[in-house]
Formats: sequence, structure tokens, C-alpha cells
Amino acid sequence: MSTNNNNITQEELERIERYLNDTMPDEQRNQFKDQLNTDYEFRLLVDDVKVMLLGIESASLKNNLEQFHDEMVPVKTLDQQTTSETAARLKKTRIKMIKFMAAAAVIIFVGSFWLESRSNSTDRLFAKHFSPDPGLPTTMGENENFEFYDAMVNYKQGDYPTAISKWQPLLSSEQKNDTLHYFIGVAHLANGNEKEAINYLQKLTDNDSDSFQEETAYYLGLAYLKADNVEDAKKYLTFSGTESAQQLLSELND
Amino acid sequence: MRETKQIENQLRVVTAIKANDNMVLKQLYQDNYKKVEVFILKNNGSMPQAKDTYQEAFIAMYQNIKANKFTPTNETALQGYLYQIAKNKWTDFLRSSRYKKTSQMADGFLIKDEDTSMIEFDISEEEYSPQNLAMEAFNHLGNECKKLLEVFYFQKKTLREIAAVFDIGEASARNKKYRCIQKLRNLVSPN
Repeated sequence: MSTNNNNITQEELERIERYLNDTMPDEQRNQFKDQLNTDYEFRLLVDDVKVMLLGIESASLKNNLEQFHDEMVPVKTLDQQTTSETAARLKKTRIKMIKFMAAAAVIIFVGSFWLESRSNSTDRLFAKHFSPDPGLPTTMGENENFEFYDAMVNYKQGDYPTAISKWQPLLSSEQKNDTLHYFIGVAHLANGNEKEAINYLQKLTDNDSDSFQEETAYYLGLAYLKADNVEDAKKYLTFSGTESAQQLLSELND
Repeated sequence: MRETKQIENQLRVVTAIKANDNMVLKQLYQDNYKKVEVFILKNNGSMPQAKDTYQEAFIAMYQNIKANKFTPTNETALQGYLYQIAKNKWTDFLRSSRYKKTSQMADGFLIKDEDTSMIEFDISEEEYSPQNLAMEAFNHLGNECKKLLEVFYFQKKTLREIAAVFDIGEASARNKKYRCIQKLRNLVSPN
């Protein structure tokens, strides 16, 4: 801030203030401007004063902000008032809803028994047990492998086709091939394409360096299940050994 | 025709801010807080953090307006400006090493924001600007000086009013003000 530390006199300070406040008569104002243009140190001094005054104003404002904030609370109570009115209305509709849903639940309950015996049990088991891998953290400002993490965001949003289309070109150039194969496979499975999923995931079982081995086997098992290949499904689920895999296996064997 | 009227309104607000109009400042503060709070809460922030960030942004906006670094180009320019500053401050914080060290980022994060109408502003973040130094120093002044300087420079009361409020003569008020300024200057750059 102040590089030249000359003390300022009261007269100087008040003169500069008059200029900054625009309460200076024209003639003096012009004189002041001339001085600004010709006297460099004077100009620095005036800038100094400006900064200091702005600091005082900012600090004063800052001290008022707490009060502004606290005085926002009454807005909440207004909200509370309207919400209690709507709450009463909601209660009535809620009772109606419950009656309706109870009736619907009975129908669904009865109907599901009927449906159970008719639907494809492997599809049912698949739907019950499948949930896509949550994915890897996507940190902002990730410089390397931008495309990979970019597609990861699409994947997490459930936009599997986009994620797959962004990941595929990376296969040839990427060192992280295993991870790519894994996620592309899982994405395909999530997208309803178990054949492609098997394609990608199968490749991973051939090498030992897969860091997702248990999960890979699990998803592979699920994929075979969906493809109605129960034998291979069981094989991979057994290999996987995760809790979910074991659970699914026991249900398969029923 | 309508557009210029709305910009006129913005200009009026800007002028009021420059004059430290308390009502306008309060209105602006209260009208725009909620949106920032929603944004920060959606992006790994807490309520206290939302308040702090918003207040920092508000001061930054104020300083830029005082320094004539802002000109409204449409009817919501000012509100958008304030929001943008707050967003930038928050995302900067999330990217900072300070934040990364103290948090376990469980499942990746994506900056979630419904308002995609991004207005580009050249906002230079100077944490240690001369103004901030002066602000800090101000808070270290004694209460009497703080009150006096606030009344002079922020509330912009006249000398006569101030003399009446503090129950001192006008010359005395001027003297005290000068001495408080000296103290402030010494705090910022000690001899």
C-alpha cells in the first residue's frame, strides 16, 4: 500500500477528501488535477488515501452485513405461516392418497404372485441384483485423462451410451485399459446390452492384473444370467465370492 | 425503450450503492442470498460457509462498484454479477489445497448449478489487496475511532451532525478524525 511513508497533514487530508467527495470549487479542482498530473508522489498519496477510505467503508459495510443477515429471518416465519396452511390441505389429500395406495397395494400384491409364476426368472433375478458400479471420483481440474473422467461424469448421470461412445476411442491409446474395459462392460450391462458387456468383461478374466477382479466376475455372472446362460453365470459368481454374488447364487440354486 | 428503463433502474441501484445507501444495500443483500445458499449447499458446503462466502462476495462486489469496475449491461446484471462472484469464490475454495487436505471426497463431485446463463466477468481475486489490508487495520482501531470514521466516511454525515452526535465541537471532530486516520495509516504501514 503506502510505499512512500510521508506523514500527511490534516490540511492535506481534508483537501484530498474534498476532491474525492466532489465538494471542491471548480478552480481548486482544476489545480488539484494539474498537481495530480505533474507530481507523481502526490498522486501516490492520493491513491493511498483513496484505498484507505475504501477500506474504511468496506469494513463498515462488513460490520452491517451480520445485521442484514439476521433480519432475513422474518422471511422464514412468513414461509412457515403459509406452510402450515398448506400442511392442513396436504393432510386431507394425504389421507385420500393412503386409501388409494392401500387399495393399489392389495392389487399389486395379489397380482405379483400371479406375475411371478409367469415372468422369466433369470430376468427377475438380474433386475433384483444388478446395480451399476458407482464409478470413480471425478475431481475437477483433472488434467490427465480428461476424456476418461469426462465420460465418467456421463456414466454417473446414467447416460451410458454417451459414456461408452467417449470411452471407446480411448481403448487403443490408453494404458488404463483394464479400467476402461471394466467400465465399458458395466455401462453396456446397465444399458441393457449384456452381450456387449460379456465381450468387454470377459477380456479381463484372462489377465491377473485386473484390480476389479471380484467385481468383474460378479458383473460377468450377472451378464450371463441376463443372457440366460445360468451355467456360466454360476461359474463366475462362485469365482467372485462377494456377498452379493453369494446371495445371488443361493437364490439361483433355489 | 423498455430495456433502457431497466438499465436505468440498475444504474440507480449502482449510484445508491456508491452513496452507501443502507436500505438499498440491505435489499440487495437479502434478495440475492438464497440463490447463493442453494448453490453452495448443493456443492458440499454448509450454511455457515454459505453465509461467509456470500458476505465476502458482497464486499467484493461493493468494492468493484466503488472503483467503477462494473457497468450494468442488462436489467439483472448486478444480481448476476454478485452470484457469479460468490460462485467463483466457492469453486476456488473447493479447488484449493486447503480444502482437498481436509476432506475425503467420497464420490467425485460435479458442480451442480441450475442457472446455466453464465455471464463472463473479469473478476480478479486479490486476497491481499490494499483494501483488505486497510479493512483489517480498521478493525484493530479502538471503538471510538471506528465509530467516528464510520460516521464520517460510510454514513457520510455532515460535520455539524457528527459534532452533535458526539457532543464535541466541529473543530474537535475534525481533529479526532485526523488522528484516527493517522493511527490507521500507521497500522497499515508502520514507520
